[in-house]
Formats: sequence, C-alpha cells, structure tokens
Amino acid sequence: MEKHKVLIANRGEIAMRITRACQKLGLDFVCVYTAEDSHSRHVHLARELGGGLYRVSSYHDANELMAVADASFATAVHPGYGFFAEDFRFARRVTQRERGLIFIGPSWRVIRELGDKINTKRLARSLGVPTVPGSDKPIYDEMEAEHVAQSLYDFQLSSGISQPTIMVKASAGGGGMGIEEVQDIGMFRSVYRRIRNYALRNFKDEGVLIEQRIRDFNHLEVQIVSDRSGKNPVHFGTRNCSIQSTGHQKRVEVAPGFAPAEINYSFDAAGVLAEITEHSLALARKVRYDNVGTWEWIVTRDGRPFLMEVNTRIQVENGVSGIIAGIREQEGVDIIAEQIRVGLGEPLGYTQADVSLSGVGIEYRIIAEDPAAGFAPWVGRIEKFAWKQESWLEMYTQVPVNEPYDIPTEFDPNLALGIVWGKDMEEAKMRGVAFLDSLVLEGADSSGNPLKSNISFLRAKTADILKF
Amino acid sequence: MLDISKLLEEIKQTPFDKVEIVSPWCGRVSFADIKEEDPVAGPSGNWLEVPGTLLANVEREHNPKPVRAPEKGRIEIIHNELEGQFIEAGTPLLTLKHFLTKQEVIQIILKQALHLFNAPERAKYYFVPEVDVKIRAAGHRSVRIANGMDLFIMSRMKREAILPYSGPEGLIYSVYFSHNENVGAGEPLIGVCPEELMPIVEDVVARVQAEWEEQE
Repeated sequence: MEKHKVLIANRGEIAMRITRACQKLGLDFVCVYTAEDSHSRHVHLARELGGGLYRVSSYHDANELMAVADASFATAVHPGYGFFAEDFRFARRVTQRERGLIFIGPSWRVIRELGDKINTKRLARSLGVPTVPGSDKPIYDEMEAEHVAQSLYDFQLSSGISQPTIMVKASAGGGGMGIEEVQDIGMFRSVYRRIRNYALRNFKDEGVLIEQRIRDFNHLEVQIVSDRSGKNPVHFGTRNCSIQSTGHQKRVEVAPGFAPAEINYSFDAAGVLAEITEHSLALARKVRYDNVGTWEWIVTRDGRPFLMEVNTRIQVENGVSGIIAGIREQEGVDIIAEQIRVGLGEPLGYTQADVSLSGVGIEYRIIAEDPAAGFAPWVGRIEKFAWKQESWLEMYTQVPVNEPYDIPTEFDPNLALGIVWGKDMEEAKMRGVAFLDSLVLEGADSSGNPLKSNISFLRAKTADILKF
Repeated sequence: MLDISKLLEEIKQTPFDKVEIVSPWCGRVSFADIKEEDPVAGPSGNWLEVPGTLLANVEREHNPKPVRAPEKGRIEIIHNELEGQFIEAGTPLLTLKHFLTKQEVIQIILKQALHLFNAPERAKYYFVPEVDVKIRAAGHRSVRIANGMDLFIMSRMKREAILPYSGPEGLIYSVYFSHNENVGAGEPLIGVCPEELMPIVEDVVARVQAEWEEQE
C-alpha cells in the first residue's frame, strides 16, 4: 500500500477508531482537537502513538484544517462522521486545491448527488425504489410549505389514516437532528418556523422538507462498501436502528436488521432484507458509489420498505455490521480500515461471494442523559467510568478511564459505544445485559446532583430487540 | 442599598483589564508593525464597523486572517518569538492593558443592582424568535419580560430546549451573552430592571458619567 499521511478531521471515538485503523494499515496520521476537547482520549491516543497533534479553533473550519494538512504534510483527509463528512464542497476543495489531498469518503460528485435527500428520492424512484411520500424539493416559502403539508394531511385522511401526521425536517440536517412531527395541522406554521430557524442556525440553510410520517415502522440500514471504480459495490448486511430516543436519536443498533429464524414476523422478513439490500446495491451501481455509505430505510408493519436517504459517510454504528461480517477466512471486518484502504485507491479485492455474515451484533450508545425527562442531555463531570473487558465486547469511547472528565457541551452527547457479539439473538441479548450490568458510570453536575444516564433504558430495551 | 461611591472607588483602584490576545486559528503568524507600549484602538463607529488596530496576521492556505485589537488600550507584551511560525489556535500573541470605559463601569456597577437571570447550564443561548424580533426592531431595553415567559432557546449537545424566565417583571436592561458563544453555568444572561429600580439605575449612569475619567 502506498505511503500516506492522513489528517483525521474529527474528534472523540471516531477519531480514535480512525487513528487505530491508520496504525493497523501502517499509515501516518495527524489529529486535531479544540480547547473543549483537550482532555478527550483521542488527544491522549494521538500523543501516545506519536501522531501529529494540532489544536484548532473548530472542527468546522475548512481553512484551518487545510492549513494543518499543509503544515503536517498530510496527503489525505478522513472526515469521520458529522462536520465535513457529507459536505461535497469540502470534498471538492480538498481534492482540487493547489496541493491536492485525497478525501477519504465518496467522491464529491457522489456526495453531491446523494447528499441531497430530494435528489436521492428522484434517483431512487427512477429505479423503481419506493420512497417516503413528501415534498420533492427543499421548501423555503411558508405558503408553499403550508400547501404541501395540507395536501399530505388530506392524502392521509383519504387513505383512511385516523391520525395523519406530517414530518418537518431540516433539508440540510441529518442524524435525526432538526426533525419534528405535526399532528394538528393548525400547529404546522409554528413548527415550520421553529425548524426553519433551527436549520438556519445549525446548517446555514433554511430549506425544509415535509414528509408523511409513517408510523409503526422499523428503521433499517444497509451497509455498502465500494472502491474507486464504483463498479463493484458489496454490502456488509443490514442493521436495525429502531430503538431510539423520543427525539428520533438512535440508541441501540442491531445487525442483522431482522431475525426471521428466531422471531416470527407478520411479513417475509428475509425477503424484505434481500429486497432493501438489492435496491441499495442497484442505486450504488447507478451512481457509481465509490466508498462506504449507508442506505437508510423504513419498513412498515406490513413489510413495505421505503428508502429514506443515503448517508454518504461512515456511520457511528458501522462497528455493529463489522462485528458480524467476515471476508473469506477473516472474522470481523474493520469497516473504517476498509474505507481508508479503498479511499486511498486500493481495489476492493473481494466480491459479495467472499463476504459472510454470522451471529448477532448489538451496539449500545452510552449517553449521559435523562430518559425520564425527554432524554435531556446531562451536563457535568464524570468521575468514574469502567466496564468488564470481554472477548465478545468492543468498546469505543473518548472518555478517559483514569481521570475525571467534564463532558463538553459543544458536541453530540455520546460517551461510548459498546458492541457485543453473540452466536444468536439469545446469546447476544444475554451478553448485552451482562455488559450493561458491568458498567460503572458515576459523576456529578455543578450543583452536586448525580449523573444521569440511559443505561437502564438500554437494559430495558434489550428485551425488545428486533421485535416488531 | 447600592453604595455607588464605594463601588466606584473600588473600580478606581484597578481601572483596567489585562486582555490576552490569543490566535483564534492555526496558521503562520506575522505581527503587524507594532511595538510594546503602543496605543491601540478597538472597533468603533455606530455599528462597530471600523475595525480595531491590526495586531497580527495568521496565514491559512495563503490567506492572511487579521487579528485585531478587540478593545482600546496599550500593548504590554508581544510574543515576537512566534514571528513566522506555524502556531496552534489558542496560542497567546500579545497582552493589552485596557482602561475601562464609562459604559463598562456602568455595566460593572449595574450587575450589583439589576436582577440577574443566570444560565442554568453551560450552553449557547438565543432569544426565542418572538423576543428576538422585538430586540432587533427596537433594542433590548424596549422588551418587558415577566415571570414564566418563554425567553431563551438553550442549545447544548446539539439539543435545544426552551428556557422560561423566572424573576421579577421588568425591562431587559443588559444582555451579557453573545451570539453563538457558550455561557457557563451560573453566569448571567441578562440583567432585568424592575420599575422600582429605575431611579437607582439612572443614578448610577449619572454618577459614572460625571465622575469617571476614561484613560487612554
């Protein structure tokens, strides 16, 4: 493999996983951090492994990241997830600047094509892939928004839906951020304005999407990997991300997406998994997808799948697919290492026939939050964080285990990802509960109140995994 | 009762702030044509449209980004040893000695008099759109607030929550937070002036205007 130096333009656990993947591949790396993250383990790891380390003002300042890339002689940039991961302008700039770098992600044209939720829906429909009913362009005008909302509301009423519901989403959003639902059409205008303002503040684009809220569904994903040729995408199976907080934030992810051998479904679950996988691969081939990506689906109780969107990046939950996947004789796949490898131009080197899937993986997102208060983030200092090491457990966290840690308020509240593997659903669930029982997470806020976490929520939800 | 004379005397003991200027960004630094003891100007004009004195440039991707004096004052220390080096964000570049203005002194004293509504958590704060519109149209001192009124959007960890105001009814006299800047838990967000406090506030303003001499 050609020698490269990778600028890891991200933070926290994903920066740590990318760092370790670079180390595994024999690549040099350079990390960045902000003042708020100075105690994050990703900073400790960069120092420990001898990579370059630069303090920056923001993970969202492209000029600064490029200045660091130049000063450190980086030859490639890994954006991780969030920040610049799905910003085609950034990807284009990285590759087309005077001292061009490799963007470890899909090529900018692919990000542009699929990063736009509306365009993705158009492309999907052209292939006969079902999509969620709703607006087919971002809406910037309040009158137009009201008109679309009213027609979707009327459509649901005429379809016999007793409680029509409309989803209002920030067009430029992602990861469940900037989404609200409206049941009382009289409230639409205030919700629309709130989302529009949120979108403007957070994404600098006040475009809003309006969709039918499909109730009673499971949220599934298909993990795709393809090399720069864009001709030979393979999948690493499906995931089920239906266990979420009240704000549509994922809390537990399971691979595979359904377990028809162990759970009775009212529809052909194996058939649905095959169908969404085939549709995802078809769309990947159509756009010549050329790195890792996730196709996000909803599946209704009667087994109808609808494509929601494509996330043109590595996702938080990639590890739960990696833990059940294998390539030829190798058990477990480091999808981030695969992403870097193909991103730097290596051919994929295997086909779908070489990929195997075995057992069940469960990923728990450990978060300091209060499920009893609408999953409100808890802010304070972690004094103690520990868990029992197991051969079937992978733990990813930026929280130091040997010193107190003030949770930064600037970022996503995820503290850690615990991924367990079992040979079947029963074993995976049993191990999942054992892992959660072994967790020690203690701390206090500025008033001395004890830390709140979602661990009991995760434990309770483990019993319902993959049930529809 | 607010002892304005005593507070003024206390401030007069140290009528200045030491302002450490750090590089906001990574980049290669080059100092402007300045030396220690030079006076510098902060932003000025009705809309602060006239920038402060240029202190340094930080070059990123061949684009020089200016670092300017945020306040008027005198240069105490320049870290000339950094000239031409690639520096990290947060690296100290200079220290300014900034003499307090009348407005700053008024604000310091009024913090003792006004009802302060504090941030419950470290977060970014924004006025709710209805209040924001009024402030933009007529300034914050035109906005009357009352106990229980939805006043702020509290944004942290990518989550937003409405924060209602609790305290006496009155006008928003001072705003202590900036757009998109974090406010620590317990730090004041606004100072509210109930009707009965208005004479005290007017007294503070008059006394400072008359008694405080701004130093260059």
